Amino acid sequence: MNLLSLLIFTPMLFGIIILILPSSMRASFRYLTLAATLVQLVISVIIYFNFKTGTTFAGINHEDQFQFIQKLPWIDLNLGSLGKLQIEYFVGIDGISVTILVMSALVMVVAAISSWEITSNLKGFFALFLLLDMAVMGVFCALDFFLFYTFYELMLLPLYFLIGMWGGVRREYAAIKFFLYTLFGSVFMLLVMVGLYMSVTDPATGNHTFNIIQMMNPNNYVQGSVFSTLNNATILGLPARMVGFVVLFIAFAIKVPVVPLHTWLPDAHVEPPTPVSIILAGVLLKIGGYGIIRICMGIFPDAAVSSAFWLGLLGVISILYGAFNALAQRDLKRLIAYSSVSHMGFVLLGIASGTAEGVSGAMMQMISHGFLSSMLFFLVGVVYGRVHDRDIYNFRGLASLMPRYTVYVMVAFFASLGLPGFSAFVAEAFSLAGAFKSSSVNGLLPQWMAVCGAVGILLGAAYLLWTLQRMFFGTLSLKGGEIWKTALTDINFRETAALLPLALLALALGIMPSLVFGKINDAVLAFVSFLQLK
Amino acid sequence: MIPILSHTDAQTVSFAIWAVALPFVAFALNLLLFSKSKIAALISTTAIVASLVLAVKVFLSVWNAPVIHAQTTWFIIGATKVQVGLLLNNLSVLMLLLVPVIALPVHIYSTAYMKEDDGYSRYFRYLSLFCFSMLGLVVVDNLILLYAFWELVGFSSYLLIGFWFTRQSAVMANKKAFIMNRIGDTGLLTAVIILYTQFGTFDIQALFGKDGFVQISNIAAGMWAGPHSAIPAVWQYVAFAGIFLAVAAKSAQFPLHTWLPDAMEGPTSVSALIHAATMVAAGVFLLGRFYPMFTESELTILAVIGAFTAFMAATIALTQNDLKRILAYSTISQLGFMVLAMGVGAYASSLFHLVTHAFFKCLLFLVAGIVIHQMKHIKDDNNLDIDPQNILHMGGLRKKLPLTFIVTIIGALALIGLPLTSGYLSKDGILIQAFDWAESRGAIFNIIPYAALLTSWLTAFYVARLVVKVFFGEFRLHKANPHIHIHMGDGSRLYKGPLVFLAICSLFPLFSNSPIFYEDAWIYKSFLPSNFLARENLYHIVIPALINILAVVVIYSAFAIYGKRNAWAFPQTGLLYRISFNEWYIDRFYNRVIIKFVMWFSNVLYWFDKKVVDGLVDLFTNVGIGLAKLAAWLDRNIVDGALHLIAGIVQSIGNFARRFQGGKVQYYLYSMLLVVAVVFIFKMIF
Repeated sequence: MNLLSLLIFTPMLFGIIILILPSSMRASFRYLTLAATLVQLVISVIIYFNFKTGTTFAGINHEDQFQFIQKLPWIDLNLGSLGKLQIEYFVGIDGISVTILVMSALVMVVAAISSWEITSNLKGFFALFLLLDMAVMGVFCALDFFLFYTFYELMLLPLYFLIGMWGGVRREYAAIKFFLYTLFGSVFMLLVMVGLYMSVTDPATGNHTFNIIQMMNPNNYVQGSVFSTLNNATILGLPARMVGFVVLFIAFAIKVPVVPLHTWLPDAHVEPPTPVSIILAGVLLKIGGYGIIRICMGIFPDAAVSSAFWLGLLGVISILYGAFNALAQRDLKRLIAYSSVSHMGFVLLGIASGTAEGVSGAMMQMISHGFLSSMLFFLVGVVYGRVHDRDIYNFRGLASLMPRYTVYVMVAFFASLGLPGFSAFVAEAFSLAGAFKSSSVNGLLPQWMAVCGAVGILLGAAYLLWTLQRMFFGTLSLKGGEIWKTALTDINFRETAALLPLALLALALGIMPSLVFGKINDAVLAFVSFLQLK
Repeated sequence: MIPILSHTDAQTVSFAIWAVALPFVAFALNLLLFSKSKIAALISTTAIVASLVLAVKVFLSVWNAPVIHAQTTWFIIGATKVQVGLLLNNLSVLMLLLVPVIALPVHIYSTAYMKEDDGYSRYFRYLSLFCFSMLGLVVVDNLILLYAFWELVGFSSYLLIGFWFTRQSAVMANKKAFIMNRIGDTGLLTAVIILYTQFGTFDIQALFGKDGFVQISNIAAGMWAGPHSAIPAVWQYVAFAGIFLAVAAKSAQFPLHTWLPDAMEGPTSVSALIHAATMVAAGVFLLGRFYPMFTESELTILAVIGAFTAFMAATIALTQNDLKRILAYSTISQLGFMVLAMGVGAYASSLFHLVTHAFFKCLLFLVAGIVIHQMKHIKDDNNLDIDPQNILHMGGLRKKLPLTFIVTIIGALALIGLPLTSGYLSKDGILIQAFDWAESRGAIFNIIPYAALLTSWLTAFYVARLVVKVFFGEFRLHKANPHIHIHMGDGSRLYKGPLVFLAICSLFPLFSNSPIFYEDAWIYKSFLPSNFLARENLYHIVIPALINILAVVVIYSAFAIYGKRNAWAFPQTGLLYRISFNEWYIDRFYNRVIIKFVMWFSNVLYWFDKKVVDGLVDLFTNVGIGLAKLAAWLDRNIVDGALHLIAGIVQSIGNFARRFQGGKVQYYLYSMLLVVAVVFIFKMIF
C-alpha cells in the first residue's frame, strides 16, 4: 500500500465508519476523528523521516525524482478521432510538499481536539470534517491536474456546510461568500486546465494528458496548440500563456489570500466554529501558496518571471495593508484574520523573488504560519467558547485570571511577530533577504520592496502588543462582570494538549530551521534554476 | 576556512559557551521546576556566579591575545551555509566579563529587594533570561544570531519592564519600549539583509574583521563595490541608517529615546542592570562591532546625534522630580557621550566609558532603589498618598542612610567626572579627543565638543541637585507631616555588599594606575589601533582643568541653591523651564502626531477595505442578483409571456369558433352561406 494513498484515504475510511455507526454512539465520533487524524500524523511523520534528500530527489519538473509515487490509470476513455482521454490517479511528493503534509496532519489533529466544542449534529460535522481532511491531503499530493482539481473542488463542499451550519451569527453570509469567491477562481482554472490538456501530450503514450509534470516541459506541447511556448497564441489579443498564468494565479491568490482578493477571509475566518477556523487558516491558505509554486509558476515559468514584479508588489501590499487593517480591528478573531493576510504576504514576496532564500523563506513561512495561526485561532476559540464574546475592549487584565492561557497567548503573539527563536523570524527574515537579493541575482524585484516588507514586521509588533496590553494586562475588568469571571477558567488539559505541540514546533523550527530547510533545499534549488530556464 | 582550534582555545570556547548557557539553564529550571519556589533566586544567582567565574577565565585567556573564532553549521539555505559560532576578541570578552560582574551584585541585591513580591520566582526567571540574551549577544559571530539575541534582549527587557503587569503605566511602558526597539530592529534587519546581499555571508569576522569584506569594499561613482558584487551606494547609506536606528533604539538616542524614561516602571534593580548598565550599552557595543563599515560622514552624523542627545537629556534632567527619571535621563546623556565618542573616532574611550558608566550608574540606581524602598515603607506605614519616587518629598537622608549616602557621593562624583573616579578617566578622554577631532576639521565642528563640554557642566548641576535634594537639608515629608512614624536604615548586607562593591569599582584604581591620565587605563590601551600616536597637546591639560574647576563651581552653586534654600530659586514658569520639564515635548509629539496618524491611517484603510474592496465584491454580488432578477422578469414576462400570449390567442380563437357549433341549424345555414359566398367572391377576383 502506498503511504500517500494511505495518508489521503485514512480519513475517508474513518468517515465511512462514522456514517455507518448509529447516532446513539455519537459520543465516539470525536474520538474516531481524533484517531483518524492521529493515524494520519503518524503516517506523515513516517513519510517525513523516509523522505530522501539529494539532488537526485529534487523533484519539481522531473517525474522520476518524486517520491512515494503511485500512478494508476483512472479514467481511460477512447474518444475515437479525438484520441484517448487519459486521466490518472497520480500522487507523489517532492521537497515542496513533504513539509506541508506534516504540518497539515498536525493542524488536523489540533482541529480535531478543538472539535470538542461542537455539540450539535455530530455525525454530520465529523463526516464532513474527515471529507475535508481527505481532500486537503489529496491536493498536496496530486500530480495529475484533473485529480488536483477534483480534490480542490471537493474541499469546498464540506467547508460550505461546516461554515454554514455550525458557524456564528452571520454564518450563511460567510459560507456563501466563501464558496462563491473560491468557485469564481476555480471555474476559470477549469478552463485553463482543459486548455492545457489540449496542448500537452504524454511523450510515452502520445495521448493528451493532465500530468502536471509533463506540462512543465516545453517539449511536450503540441505544435500550434494554444499554450505552446513556441506558438505565441493569443486569447482576446493577449498572450495565451500570460492569460493562463494570470487566471491560475487569481484562483490561488484568492486562497492565499492576496489583497485585493482577500475580503472573503475576515468573514470566513470569523464566522466558523474554531476547528474550521483552524483548518482554514492553518491549511487552506497554504494551498494558495503551494498552488502558486507548483502549478502557476511550474507550468508557466516564463509568464511568472515576467510578472514577478507585480507578484512582489502584491505581496508587499498584502503585508502592509493587512497589518494596518489588523491595527484597526476590535474583534480579536478579525484581527488575527487580517494578520494572516499580512503574514501570507511574505509568502508571495518570497516566491516572487525567485531566489533560493526567498522561496525557502516563503515555504518556511507557510509551515510556520500553519502552526501559529492554528494556535491563534484556537486561543480565540478558548475565550469565545467560554463567554461568547471576542471584542478586545470587553476584556482587560485576563493575565491575572487566566495565567496559563496568557502564557500561550504571549508565545503565539511573540512567535507571530517574529521573535527570534520562533519559526516566523527565520521565515520572514529570509523572505525579505531573498526579496532584497533578487535585484542583484536575477533582477526580478527592486530592493525597496524588501525594505517596505520589513516595515510590516514593525506593524506586526504594534497590533499584537497593543492587543496584549488591552486584553491581558492591567487590572481585571470584564464587560460580563462576575458571570464572565466564573466562566473564564484557565485552559484545561485538552486545550493544553492542543496548544503545547504547536508552541513547541514553532520553537523547534525557529531553533533548528534545518528541520524544514534540510528537506526542501534540493527542491528549492531545482525550482529556482527551473525558473531561470525561460 | 576556520583552523582547527588548539586544546586551550577549545577549552576557552567551551567555557564561553557555558558562561552564556548557564543563565539559560537557570531560566529553564526556574520555568519548569521552580515556578513558585523561592529557590529560584538561589538558582539564578548560582548560575550568574558560575558565569562570572567562567567569564573571568575566558577573559584572561583572550584579552590582548589573538582572536578566537569557532563555528559550526546551523542550517543550509540555498547555497548559503548559515553558521553558528563564537567570536572572542577584546570587545566581546570585555562585555562577556562586564555583564556578569554587574549582574551578580544586582542578583544579590534583588534577593532582598524583591523578597516580598508575589512574583519573586518569575522575577529571577526573567532576570536569567536577560543575562542569557545579553551574554549571547556579545559573543556570537554572525549577524543572524546577533539579530536574534538583540531582539531577545529587547524581549526580556519587555518582560521586566512590565513585571508588574497589573499596573497600567507599566504595561504601557513595556509596549512602548518594545515597539520603539522594534523600529530599531527593523533597521538592523534591513542592514543585515543588505550586508548579506552585498557580501554573501553573515559572518561578522569575515565582514568586519581585519581585511574583511567591509574593509576592502569601497564606494565609488555612486556604486558600493564589494569583492563579489556592486550595488548602488544608496544601500550603503540605508544600511547605515538601519544600524543607526538600531543603536538609537537600544541605546536610547534621539529620536528613539523616549522609551527609556518610561521603562523605569520596572523594578529598580532591573533598571540598574538593564536600563542603565548593560542592555542600553548594547547599541554602543553594536557600533563597536560594525565600526569598520562607517564612512567619514556617517561617523560625523553619529557624533552630532550623540552630542545632541547628551545635551538634550541633560537639560531635561535638570527639572525632573522623579528620582528614577532623573537617572534615566542621565543614562541617555551618558550614552550620548559614548555615541559621540564613536563618532569622533574615540573608539577606545567610548568602550572605556561604557564600562565605567556601567558600574557607577548601576550603583546610583541601586541607591535609588533603597531610597524608594524606604520612602515606600513610610508611605505604607502611614497610609500617605505620595509618590515615593518624588525627590521633593525627600531630604536630609544622609543621617538616616549613612552608607548609602557615602556610596552615592562616589557614584555622583564618577558621573560628574571628577578626578579620582573612573568617570573622570573615561569622560575626559572623550572630551579631549572630541576637541582634537574638531580642530582638524573646521570651526563649525567645534559645536560638538563645546556642546559636550556644556553638557558635562549640566551634568554636574543636576547630579548635585539630586544629591542635595535627597540627602541634604531637612526631610521635607517629615516636615509636612510631623506626626508620621519613620523607620529607615541602609538595610541588610544583601543591600550593602553590592553597593560597596560597585562603589569601589567606580574609583580609579580598578582601571588605571594614574588617577589623572586616561591614556594609562588598561581598557583604553587595549582598544587602540597599533599605529596610534599619542598626540600630546594643550587640550590634554586645559580641558580636564577647565571641566573640573567649573564643575566644582557648579556643584557648589547647586548646593547653595537647593541645600541652603536661602539663595534665589529658579523660576518655574519660563519657556526654557517648560521645554525641559516637558521633556522637549518629544513624547507628546509622538503621541499626538505620529501615533494618531498611524491609527487614523489604519482606520481609513479599514474603511477602504470594508466599503471599497468589499463594496466591490458586494457590488458584484448585487449586479449578479440584479441580472438574475432581470432574467427572472424576462422569463416571466417575455418568454413565458409569449407562451401565454400564444395560449391566449389560441384560447380566444377557440372561444370564438366554439360559438359556431352551438347546435343551432340557423347558424350552420348562415355559415354555409358565408363560406359559399366567400368562395364565390374569391373565384370572381382571381
